[in-house]
Amino acid sequence: MSAMFKLVGKPAPRHDAWAKAKGDQLYSDDFTMPGMLYGKALRSKYPAAIIKSIDTSKAKALPGVHAVLTAKDVPMNVEISKFGQMKDVGGGFEGLYKVLADGKVRFKGEAIALVAAETEELAEEACRLIEVDYEVQPGVFDPEEALKPGAYIVSSDEGENESNLIMESHINKGDVEKAFAEADVIVENEYRVPPVDHAYLETEGGVAWVDDNGVITMRVGTQVLEHYRTIAKVMGLPQNKVRNMSVPMGGGFGGKEDITVETFLCLLANATKRPVKMVWSREESLEVHSKRHPEILRYKTAATKDGKITAQKVEIIMDGGGYKLLTGWVQMYSTVNAPGCYNIPNVKVDSYSALTNNTPSSANRGFGCCQANFASELQMDELAAKLGMSPLEIRLKNCLRNGDEICTGFIPQGHIALEEIAKKAWEGLEATGPKPDYVDGKKIGRGLAIGMMSYGRLTFMHDSSRVGLRIELDGSVTLRAGVPDLGGGQASVLCQIVAEELGIPMEKVHPYIMDTHLTPLCGTTTATRQLYMSGNAALVTVKVLKERIIKKAAEMLDAKPEEVQLINEKACLINNPLKSVPFVQVVGALSNDGVELFHEGQFNAPFTDVPNLHDMKGRIWPDFTYSAHAVEVAVDEETGKFEVRKVVLCYDVGKAINKNSCEGQLEGGCVYNQGYVTENMGWENGITKARSFAEYLIPTAVDAPEIETIMVESGGGLGPYGAKGVGEPADNSIAPAIVNAIYDAVGVRLKEMPVTPEKLLKAIQEKNK
Amino acid sequence: MHVNTRIMPVEFEYLEPKTKAEALEMLAKYDNVKVLAGGTDLIVKLKTGADIKVDYMMNVKEIEELNYIKLEDNLVKIGAVTPLSTIENNEIINKYLPILSEAIKAMAAIAVRNMGTIGGNLCNSSPAGDTIPPLTVYDAKLILAGKQGTKEVSVEEFITGPGKNILAQDEMLVEVVVPAPKENTGAAFIKKTRVKADISKINTAVLMERVEDKCVNCRIAMGSVAAKVVRILPAEEAVRGQKVDLNLCQKAAQIVSDEIKPIDDNRSTAEYRKEIARVIVEDAMKIAWQRSGGEKIND
Ligand SMILES: Cc1cc2nc3c(=O)[nH]c(=O)nc-3n(C[C@H](O)[C@H](O)[C@H](O)COP(=O)(O)OP(=O)(O)OC[C@H]3O[C@@H](n4cnc5c(N)ncnc54)[C@H](O)[C@@H]3O)c2cc1C
Repeated sequence: MSAMFKLVGKPAPRHDAWAKAKGDQLYSDDFTMPGMLYGKALRSKYPAAIIKSIDTSKAKALPGVHAVLTAKDVPMNVEISKFGQMKDVGGGFEGLYKVLADGKVRFKGEAIALVAAETEELAEEACRLIEVDYEVQPGVFDPEEALKPGAYIVSSDEGENESNLIMESHINKGDVEKAFAEADVIVENEYRVPPVDHAYLETEGGVAWVDDNGVITMRVGTQVLEHYRTIAKVMGLPQNKVRNMSVPMGGGFGGKEDITVETFLCLLANATKRPVKMVWSREESLEVHSKRHPEILRYKTAATKDGKITAQKVEIIMDGGGYKLLTGWVQMYSTVNAPGCYNIPNVKVDSYSALTNNTPSSANRGFGCCQANFASELQMDELAAKLGMSPLEIRLKNCLRNGDEICTGFIPQGHIALEEIAKKAWEGLEATGPKPDYVDGKKIGRGLAIGMMSYGRLTFMHDSSRVGLRIELDGSVTLRAGVPDLGGGQASVLCQIVAEELGIPMEKVHPYIMDTHLTPLCGTTTATRQLYMSGNAALVTVKVLKERIIKKAAEMLDAKPEEVQLINEKACLINNPLKSVPFVQVVGALSNDGVELFHEGQFNAPFTDVPNLHDMKGRIWPDFTYSAHAVEVAVDEETGKFEVRKVVLCYDVGKAINKNSCEGQLEGGCVYNQGYVTENMGWENGITKARSFAEYLIPTAVDAPEIETIMVESGGGLGPYGAKGVGEPADNSIAPAIVNAIYDAVGVRLKEMPVTPEKLLKAIQEKNK
Repeated sequence: MHVNTRIMPVEFEYLEPKTKAEALEMLAKYDNVKVLAGGTDLIVKLKTGADIKVDYMMNVKEIEELNYIKLEDNLVKIGAVTPLSTIENNEIINKYLPILSEAIKAMAAIAVRNMGTIGGNLCNSSPAGDTIPPLTVYDAKLILAGKQGTKEVSVEEFITGPGKNILAQDEMLVEVVVPAPKENTGAAFIKKTRVKADISKINTAVLMERVEDKCVNCRIAMGSVAAKVVRILPAEEAVRGQKVDLNLCQKAAQIVSDEIKPIDDNRSTAEYRKEIARVIVEDAMKIAWQRSGGEKIND
């Protein structure tokens, strides 16, 4: 079968590659309209305060200012956040979304008022003229403190509980207490992981206007086109009158999964009846958009003396920040992934999330999974060290294999390649040569971590995707898909699939994407779902058209449909390729016959019910992607400075449909969460100290290690051609592999990120005392 | 403090002299002139709301006669507006002042080094400025010019505090003059950062002049440990005239660590800086000594 692929599995240049390389691609900020105004949000000075009054009169009086809006000007200021799911999930999952603060301010930088003015400078000036009378509150900044009785209550009064608890969720499998009583060894540790910024090149932004027919129209990059529904509600408008002609993004990583500028822009455009642009500054972006959840994870593990894990007990406390946003969903990922990618008979997980007055936490590539993976993979090495086993041995002894059930009792349908990829990554690193003790005076260490992460959304959300195709009379193909493209090649791969099936070159398929009302809705570009969901939708759709074409071609070739194939822009006999008819002629014949040359098809993921959060059981996601990272680090024992020298990563990608994109994701993900180890938002009592990229330091090209990428293609995924998703799993197990490698080098394991030379040096000195 | 780096919230007249004389004329004529070279410090500061009075912005990067590197009478002369990337790749610099080139290579990314100038790094007078320790140990002199004439000062005299120097309103830096180091002289530069392309947490330059197995002249400069780049005279004193071995390097490094009074900031802690000052000075001395032709010092 695979030998017959013309395009699938090959490196394929994307349809938008040249425009991006040459700078022709227009991003959110690159677009202007005649008469355009500039929007700006006035943001709270304090993380916790009561707004006693707001006086906008001076700002309104400033010449050149066209609108100043506060909460009372928003038709529906408080809404329930939805993220494009088809099902009303309820059960504490859907959080509050508030457009502008009124009553209580819940985090520093929360928007209080909006301004539209002739220039960006004037808009700034107007914001300065708005007088807000705050009554500063003590606030609460630690999720454990927030959960104590008598803690400061973060929420305002819109029907939320008088407690900071967002959600609790539990897993109970077997009998952990019995297993602990019978254990040969027990390892107990606490791990802490920090907030993380997405650090995309392009900050949040866009333009909105009211079109000739009174439709509020936006040009805003987002990962979730379906937000137009919430925006319509906020505006008090019908859903067919709010449109986003979205644009390719300069990165998303989960940070453009919540609503960003959309509601602000629509409110201002509607109020002024002029086009309005708003682009957040880097300072604004770092301070106010949601971050990866900080978590405290407490592990207690029981094992036999030959290294078989018998019980894993985990307590997780998550910091949700000032608003719930996606916390409940992220919590599902942390909770179910807490035991790690291992077959463990007895598991107990208790997880709690809390509101605090920190910047809200929400989606960030990895979505609750990489927090749990970090802790569980350090815990594995702690156990290995105690038992005198090697990191590879302990993992091979315990990792999930085909037919094993995960902690909820669900048996994954897709292929589980953990054993193979763990070995391949580790052996790949060993093949680079024996580990030297020192290089340039620095101690060398090697580490391993493996992981699993779902692709596709939580199955209880009843996910679906649609793709539309039209075959043009010249044999080219128009593809329509509401697929937000954040740079991962989400649209291009759909063209590749369609071209493959129709036997035409990829350039002959042109994608029209990301329009809420003119392209079929594909669902969100989140949850590592686009290739799986929209890839399958493209396949479902093209197959309908392909059948029509083959049927007609068979008629023309005097053959049976099953004897005909589409290849090289021809329909030909499988057994006699010389007997053929050009693709375009078949299309012409179908047109003459009045046969429909278009189709829109839908793909549905498996559906389940919402789990009982007190005892989660069964299927939570469609399937998983498995990862392994083997890492070599060099540590300077005298300064605590460490450097990642080499990474060998191995993934079962199912099928690498576009080899270039797949490798790009795996390597990009690796460097992304290499940064997890060192990046530092510098939160202090609700204040973000990292105000720019001079303070929030991410690894750059010169920090990237040598990466060797090994792709296993088992064909055992649920996506098109057996593909799995890689976008988020790509960053899953690198961070713990680095910290484990540091341990191998110098014998200390820091259990709290960020890992800085300052902390590492202290730990090394303490150990040597 | 509220910051929006999409906006530079200042208004000024723009001046673009083509010659040094024209520039000095403008400095004398107008009030509140701010010299703009590469702008990689100045524009950032203006965008982040630093309190800088600027009525006239004078771009000096178009003054070709201040863009050069030459060797004259055993003196290396560098024009103030010479871009950092030109210096790092220049043969004269690599031959005579190799650690100036090394320090520049360790700065920022190529784009910033293409824009930034040596004059800008000096006049910005940051305690973390990476060209300052090398120029300090090489005993560079700075030529300051005004309409009334020029003066020559050492780097240490020039910089007085964080972002502060002795330039008068109507003066500018026009040239950096460095005596070509004598035979049997070696130098080293070491910088520690958070990620690779980053401002120094700490940096050091060490220069050692050797006669047989003794060090007859030693200069040690440290950055990011005080209000300005500082020389550690007691450590230099302890080395001068001594036979150089591991013991001596460690002793001098310990003096440096004891002498400095760094602070905690967002890049590092005082404690850590004191700790690694010892490590990097010892390493830098070993490298400098070997480069001077001295025997390799092993641990
Ligand atoms: C991303 C980034 C990374 C950086 N990394 C580093 C680093 O690693 N190490 C480091 O040391 N620096 C670093 N810098 C700072 C900066 O790039 C350097 O200090 C550079 O040398 C400044 O030169 P410039 O020509 O851009 O100066 P400008 O910004 O043009 O000027 C700086 C100051 O000097 C004054 N000035 C400039 N030239 C003259 C002159 N001839 N006479 C009188 N006054 C003058 C200006 O008025 C201004 O006050 C970094 C900057 C950025 C943006």
